[in-house]
Amino acid sequence: MSTVYTRPLGRLVEQLQRLPGVGPKTAQRLALHILKRPESEVQALAQALIEAKQQVGLCSVCFHLSAEPICDICRAPNRDNSVICVVADSRDVIALEKTREYRGKYHVLGGLISPMDGVGPDQLHVQPLIKRVSQPQVTEVILAISPSVEGETTTLYVGQLLKPFTRVTRIAFGLPMGGDLEYADEVTLARALEGRRELE
Amino acid sequence: MYLSSLSLRHFRNYIEQHVDFSAPKVILVGQNAQGKSNLLEGIELLSTLRSHRTSRDQDLIRDAEPIGQISAILERQSGSVDLKLTLRSNGRRTVAVNSEAVRRQLDFLGNLNAVQFSTLDLDIVRGGPAERRQWLDAVLIQLEPLAAYVLQQYQHVLKQRNALLKQHRVHGTPLDPQQLDLWNQQLATAGVRVIERRRRLLERLAPLAAHWHSRISGHHEQLQLVYQPNVEPEPQSPEAAQSHFLAQLQDKSTAEQYQGQTLVGPHRDEISMTLNQTPARQYGSQGQQRTLILALKLAELTLIDEVVGDPPLLLLDDVLAELDLNRQNQLLDAIQERFQTFITTTHLGAFDANWLHAAQILTVESGRLVWPKA
Ligand SMILES: Nc1ncnc2c1ncn2[C@@H]1O[C@H](COP(=O)(O)OP(=O)(O)O)[C@@H](O)[C@H]1O
Ligand SMILES: [Mg+2]
Ligand SMILES: [Zn+2]
Repeated sequence: MSTVYTRPLGRLVEQLQRLPGVGPKTAQRLALHILKRPESEVQALAQALIEAKQQVGLCSVCFHLSAEPICDICRAPNRDNSVICVVADSRDVIALEKTREYRGKYHVLGGLISPMDGVGPDQLHVQPLIKRVSQPQVTEVILAISPSVEGETTTLYVGQLLKPFTRVTRIAFGLPMGGDLEYADEVTLARALEGRRELE
Repeated sequence: MYLSSLSLRHFRNYIEQHVDFSAPKVILVGQNAQGKSNLLEGIELLSTLRSHRTSRDQDLIRDAEPIGQISAILERQSGSVDLKLTLRSNGRRTVAVNSEAVRRQLDFLGNLNAVQFSTLDLDIVRGGPAERRQWLDAVLIQLEPLAAYVLQQYQHVLKQRNALLKQHRVHGTPLDPQQLDLWNQQLATAGVRVIERRRRLLERLAPLAAHWHSRISGHHEQLQLVYQPNVEPEPQSPEAAQSHFLAQLQDKSTAEQYQGQTLVGPHRDEISMTLNQTPARQYGSQGQQRTLILALKLAELTLIDEVVGDPPLLLLDDVLAELDLNRQNQLLDAIQERFQTFITTTHLGAFDANWLHAAQILTVESGRLVWPKA
């Protein structure tokens, strides 16, 4: 790489290539594009990167990505406090929000139980979830976790912990087997939310 | 079914090769290491999305190329289908049927059925139980594309459960009984599906293999295939089978924790093969073992034909010349014109002149096909 690109360009290509879904060709295309843009635009991009990283953390209530200590969804006065939808990842919150079908709150676990990756329940935001659910206003928890092997284990594990406190349902997936929520189209997701069923 | 054309692009040692097939028997002749087996491997991939020679897509793509492609036009009784598999060096694959991308590999499997027979297949008799399971599972996937998903699911749960047991054994992480219990349930659910499918398949395959073996051996030998599952199936109900599976896990739990791995389940199944009541693995002569494999392959061929309702392709990699004339004739007699057959060989001398005459003969030379001069 160092022999093909002049050094700062090589560094940029290398950094871009680390991004998910970006191969060497795309990295080169992006880098050359960036060099062609006016400096002010490149400044704005660099600043946006830094600021996003510095300012975006996790909501202290639901663990969704948030620039504030408590996220917009958790603070919204018009959202239903009695329902909590549990998802693996912030991406899933975004996918569900796009359907505009759900008016309750969320809880982001931050992953799925996966011994292969060294992730057990202690590595996930499970304890704070139990605390939230034990509050009297919560009447239903919806588990919206993809039906993969890890998703199934996580759904059942979390479900067992929460059932003493409240009604627990899981969303009915007409999703591709092993599929991610993120890739499900909005209609499928909306339908899945409607067709949720009691966790056994 | 009938493969009417095949195109290989940056696949193995091929750069860009198109070929139209014009006869029910196609012979690929050439010296060693020219690309004969590679071509058959291309057909195998369209059939099963797996290669028996490698599990890394990088190996399949021509050296120094980022993308490799295999496409074919297949005439089925239900009509013509156009199949395409794209391999990438980063391991991502895409598949298309009739020029339309299909998202699930499941929807691609089951279009092209093929039985393949290579010198490596002797390992089905000579090798360990893993070789026999692999053989059975490959047949299963051809017949029931959903089995690919079921098997993969089982392997995945098994890996996770082994990781949990290993953490406990190696790092002394306390075993979370609640989590282990959930993995047990998933292992049992997936495991029972695997066991049931294997049992059903062997029930149909065993009499066919016995029939063919008896015929080829001149009715001197009786072949018996018996499924020996690690956990006995309970065909009455999946619930009974699962609780039986869970009870076995319970029995072995101390040993599993001590060894740090899963000791119960279909990953420990065996398929016993006996000739006149003696295990074929130890007692069979080379010739008997060859006959046995031939019988297995003919059983596969006839079963797929029967279940799918369309005769599968037959891929014979270097094996025909290794069979004696009697077995060659038995095989050719069984194939007739019904099964389109691809045969690789280093020389044509060992074959019967009659059917050489009716075959399409292609010469393979360092990743290129050469048509004989008219
Ligand atoms: N990814 C690859 N890129 C280029 N050449 C390859 C690749 N994989 C295998 N080959 C070449 O293919 C040849 C082997 O082809 P094969 O079909 O197995 O031979 P045969 O004609 O004996 O059946 C070898 O020369 C090997 O170097
Ligand atoms: Mg070969
Ligand atoms: Zn929040």
